[in-house]
Amino acid sequence: MQSSLTAAARLDLPALLRGRAGTLSAPAMLVLGAAGASAFGAAVGTYTGGMQIVYAAVKMPVFFLATLGLSFAALYVLASSRLAAREILRAACEAVSLTAAALGGLAPVVAFVSLSCTRPSQPAYVFLVLVLTLSVAAGGIAGVLRLHARLASPGLTAAWVLIYQFTGAQMAWLLKPWVGYTFTADRFLPLRENLHGNFYEAVFGVVRSLLS
Amino acid sequence: MAEIAAPMPAASVQSFDSDVLHSGIFARLAVVGALLRFRKTVGADLASGRNLSDYVCSLFIATLLFTAGYGAVLGMFQPGIQTLFAAAKLPIVVLGTALLCTPTFYVFNSILGSTLNFRQTVALVFVMTAAVATILAAFAPIAWFFTVSAGTLGFLIGLHLVVFLVALLYAERLISSLREILQSATGGPSVSRLLLTVWILLVGAVGLQMAWNFRPFLSEGPFVTGTRSLCLEALKPLAPDGEEYER
Repeated sequence: MQSSLTAAARLDLPALLRGRAGTLSAPAMLVLGAAGASAFGAAVGTYTGGMQIVYAAVKMPVFFLATLGLSFAALYVLASSRLAAREILRAACEAVSLTAAALGGLAPVVAFVSLSCTRPSQPAYVFLVLVLTLSVAAGGIAGVLRLHARLASPGLTAAWVLIYQFTGAQMAWLLKPWVGYTFTADRFLPLRENLHGNFYEAVFGVVRSLLS
Repeated sequence: MAEIAAPMPAASVQSFDSDVLHSGIFARLAVVGALLRFRKTVGADLASGRNLSDYVCSLFIATLLFTAGYGAVLGMFQPGIQTLFAAAKLPIVVLGTALLCTPTFYVFNSILGSTLNFRQTVALVFVMTAAVATILAAFAPIAWFFTVSAGTLGFLIGLHLVVFLVALLYAERLISSLREILQSATGGPSVSRLLLTVWILLVGAVGLQMAWNFRPFLSEGPFVTGTRSLCLEALKPLAPDGEEYER
């Protein structure tokens, strides 16, 4: 009993990556995920540099965990007819943590690209955003595939991803800036500004300006 | 007649034992011969974890020496301090690129079901750098010949890019063959085929950017320019309205 408890508390990254997460506790998975997210956040903040590295390293784990916290009730209700509460919690923690850990694996490359990009330069900034988008897509695909393996239902997986993404997009909006393109720096959380508008209104605004 | 039918003289090595690697600095270079001729032994050692630290150390030294040699050939276009600079910079570019891309390789390979642990992954990454370095060393005399005889800057850039492309393709082939040996030795998946292709492309892209950051290699200049820019800017003169692009 004692040994299985310590095994569950151990921060066993290979177990999380390879899907032997049965040996890991949900908090241990989240700690690993938070570490990966923090590394990725630091890499994202490298473009602006200075305190932005620390800010983004703090905000990135908050983004993943807060989005999970807010959307968990909805995820639970959708999955409750198929899985036990404990399994639902573990599946959600595992998918989110795996995504974050995968992003952590990409962090050195992202940091290198960020350090190589000219600043201030609009084309370099756009290129960096493209690299970040590809990275997040790679991490997201890993997470979704794992989720699919755990939930064993394409419809349920799709619903979970939709809910998490829907909440996540606004969470990212609220916690911006991430890359930081003003170079004056380095604001941790301009909450007053971020509370104006939301992600979806901003997307709508961009689409409307493209059409007009 | 009898002499023709006789077996090969004993001087030619017929097998490889990785125990030889820790018997001196020159013995470490035997790992290159092993990669070229005794891949089954190398694969079996990687799978069982036998002498793994010796492999990593030997592959590192081989990479360092061969890339420094090819770097010196690059720098011979501007003989003098530039030769030394280029010889120092190319190992940084090759090894730095490999180290930057190692976490990505390990994390995504594990997610895709590989049974390789981190140390085995690191060894495989250094197999990649040593394979690249071996091709560079093999082409070094030809590159040197063109550098001192018929070199214009544009031609040499093209030549070196082709050599690096060949080196990377060779490394991909080598890891592919090791992958199958590892697979049959461990009985589990070793390296995902898809990931290997994507990862080699990533290594190529990061390497190109890393080399760009450490430019110049061929022309006269400081050790590093210290300016931040993407290697895509090298393509700017080719684009229509190239100047417009800069803001």
